[in-house]
Amino acid sequence: MTPVLELDEVSVSFAAGPPFRRRTTHAMREVSLRIDPGETVGLVGESGSGKTTTSMVALGLRAPSSGAVRFEGEPFPRRRRALAGRMQAVLQHPQWSLDPRMRVGRSVAEPLGVLGHADAEQRTLAMLDQVGLDASFAKRYPHQLSGGQRQRVSIARALVTRPPFLVFDEAVSALDVSVQAQILNLVKDLQAEFGFAALFISHDLGAVRYVADRVAVMRGGELVETADAAVFYRKPAHEYSRRLMEAL
Amino acid sequence: MTTWRRLDPLSRTGLVCLVVLVLAALAGSVFGLGGNPDGIVGSRLAPPSWQWPLGTDQLGRSMLPRVLEGIGTTLLLSTLAVLVTASLSTVLGIVAGYRGGWLAELVLRMVDVLYSFPTIVLAILVAAVLGPGQAATLCSIVLVTIPLMTRLVRTAAMTVSERDYITSAVISGVGWWRILARHVLPNVSGTIAVQGTYALSVGILVEGGLSFLGFGVQPPESSLGVLIQQGGIYLLAAPWLLAFPGVVLVVAILAINVFGDGLRDRLEPRESRSLV
Amino acid sequence: MTLLEVDQLVVDYGAVRALDGATLSVARGETVGIVGESGSGKSTLGSAIGGLLPKAAEVTGGEVKVDGSVVGSMSARELRALRSTRLGYVFQEPIGSLDPTMRIGRQVALALRGRASRADVLDRLATVKLADPARVARGYPHQLSGGMAQRVAIAMAMAAEPELLIADEPTAALDSQVRDEVLDLVFALAAEAGTTILWLSHDLPAVARRCSRVAVMYGGRVVESGPASAVLAEPRHPYTAALAGSVPGAVSEGQRLVAIPGQPPVLSGASPGCSFAPRCPAVLESCAGERPRSHVSGGHDVLCHRASETVGAAR
Repeated sequence: MTPVLELDEVSVSFAAGPPFRRRTTHAMREVSLRIDPGETVGLVGESGSGKTTTSMVALGLRAPSSGAVRFEGEPFPRRRRALAGRMQAVLQHPQWSLDPRMRVGRSVAEPLGVLGHADAEQRTLAMLDQVGLDASFAKRYPHQLSGGQRQRVSIARALVTRPPFLVFDEAVSALDVSVQAQILNLVKDLQAEFGFAALFISHDLGAVRYVADRVAVMRGGELVETADAAVFYRKPAHEYSRRLMEAL
Repeated sequence: MTTWRRLDPLSRTGLVCLVVLVLAALAGSVFGLGGNPDGIVGSRLAPPSWQWPLGTDQLGRSMLPRVLEGIGTTLLLSTLAVLVTASLSTVLGIVAGYRGGWLAELVLRMVDVLYSFPTIVLAILVAAVLGPGQAATLCSIVLVTIPLMTRLVRTAAMTVSERDYITSAVISGVGWWRILARHVLPNVSGTIAVQGTYALSVGILVEGGLSFLGFGVQPPESSLGVLIQQGGIYLLAAPWLLAFPGVVLVVAILAINVFGDGLRDRLEPRESRSLV
Repeated sequence: MTLLEVDQLVVDYGAVRALDGATLSVARGETVGIVGESGSGKSTLGSAIGGLLPKAAEVTGGEVKVDGSVVGSMSARELRALRSTRLGYVFQEPIGSLDPTMRIGRQVALALRGRASRADVLDRLATVKLADPARVARGYPHQLSGGMAQRVAIAMAMAAEPELLIADEPTAALDSQVRDEVLDLVFALAAEAGTTILWLSHDLPAVARRCSRVAVMYGGRVVESGPASAVLAEPRHPYTAALAGSVPGAVSEGQRLVAIPGQPPVLSGASPGCSFAPRCPAVLESCAGERPRSHVSGGHDVLCHRASETVGAAR
């Protein structure tokens, strides 16, 4: 089976700091990760662990300094359009995940517009319904929505093209605990229904192990442990993973 | 209409003042209010009276139509210049802000060179190259207002470009041109509108300064700057010559700034206002 | 001995009601955790204690008493005295709470007020376990990491050995490793100085682990308060129970998270009934139209129409 996404010894480093005293920061060090079709892989790490860079690399928004990234067995195409509708993301900030000047319906339909679907409106409304929002939401502006509702809209936009792969980058971190649980359940239910593969990134091990089939733990740019989610309910091997578990 | 309701009283006053000035200029040029601005109608340097509400100038021309014409010329020149500035700044700023890299560097350096000239020196330089007149005034205003506006539009575009909805659009395969038109432009339009208003007041000042120095609008044409310059000569003998165009200039600039402040508060992105 | 008494406090921000009759009393030496989601009113409550409400906020009912004196009727001078000698504040954004233009050493010296020699300042910085106090004292806030800056902020808040330390989500901006260290530090310093702690947080399990008492806020009221172990183990308010159940880390393998349907409320004026009623799994007819009254039993208070039942069930 061809993995949906494969990172093969990917390293990313960039120079930062003032001129003449530039230091090279290694955001990722030889990270290898594979995500099979229909599989949800969770990625946990604290800020500065390199998980944001990993998400950028997985989305093809940043080229690795060394190593290879393959999406559905192929390297990323030069033109983003070639991937249109095959890969989507649900990102961190509910307040900026939607264009404040666009009605919700148009935001959700945007990925369809690239593909030129004729029945965009119908699909949009159907998708909004899937994430628990009725048709009236299509006419609203983002500022009329709560954080949880906005994140539902983001999920609808990401799923509207039925992509085989999704990245959730801290998609529930900014939400209130009671709303966070709703969204986590929604992600799980939609995953069961649509069967997409996903990379679920968060600093919260509890959330990650809840939605993921496998969990990868990242620290200082390296993957320190990758194991089935079940392991993270009992006894992970790496000492750092155990510390994360204790913090729950 | 919603804009009006959301403005605070002070900026509403500013907007009303501006509308009154525009109407006055129109009344002068279209309906000939106050008579012919170039016609010699009476004695020289006559003080304000029922016959000549704003007095007469050193040639015996009625000041009322001249001030009205001056308002019209000044506002028209500044508005045209600001429209040019806004269009250029929007294109440069958005492209530089969204794409970044060497293109942004190039735009910023060019704009910085312009910025480093003192306003009036730059304006005089333009007048020297193009020859004094309306074209030189217009170019000067554009060159003076373009650096700040480009920088601010670029900053706004940069902020917008980092937002998640842009990233989502990129991932969805939306082309960069469409991202600029659909997402970046609408979200920086507030900044453009606000900076445009401020640029308008700078434009009026530059016109005034340049014409005052004799490099701008040339007599017998009238503009606020020309009138102030000529009024200055007869300051002691006929202070009304300076007073009326001077007051109009101050009112115009204050009104624009006050209105711009209100507009800025109004156009502040709604998301940043939290409830509790 | 009661140190802090908040009685039926109502605070409005224009048309939005942030506190809708919040009641809380804290005894000297206690460590109290206030748990609530965003918009529950916990930060407003924290600010109201020191008279630190923003201009847009208005106290429209109730009062706050610190050590018997009413904060609302204090003069500006008394308020300053209250904040400088009796209260200490630690906020969420450590770097934002420090003056960016001043060296750390000077800021700490100012917090120590007058009686600060260089040695005192370094001593203070050493108490918050900063590795190289001299270097930190010479530096500016932007040169510090979030964890270091929060330590400095704690050193400053504890400089006057306040009677009450109000920590508003002090670790929300920090990494989880640093989080525990910073909290250990706060609790150790407070225990040493005899300072009462009021810790505002959204994390119920974390609060229950460290505090002696927990108060849960929802819709601008304290809906449940009691000994930490009791609140977490036998929550009496349906909201507390739901909150405990919706933390992903608390769910065991294969179990489904029990999400609370709907959204937290935004109040505009007094809630006619229980503000949790629309989301409550055990709602009664009276819940929507009648404000629940406090039900006290063994130091475990709850604002719920079903309080008597759940108390009975727990026994």
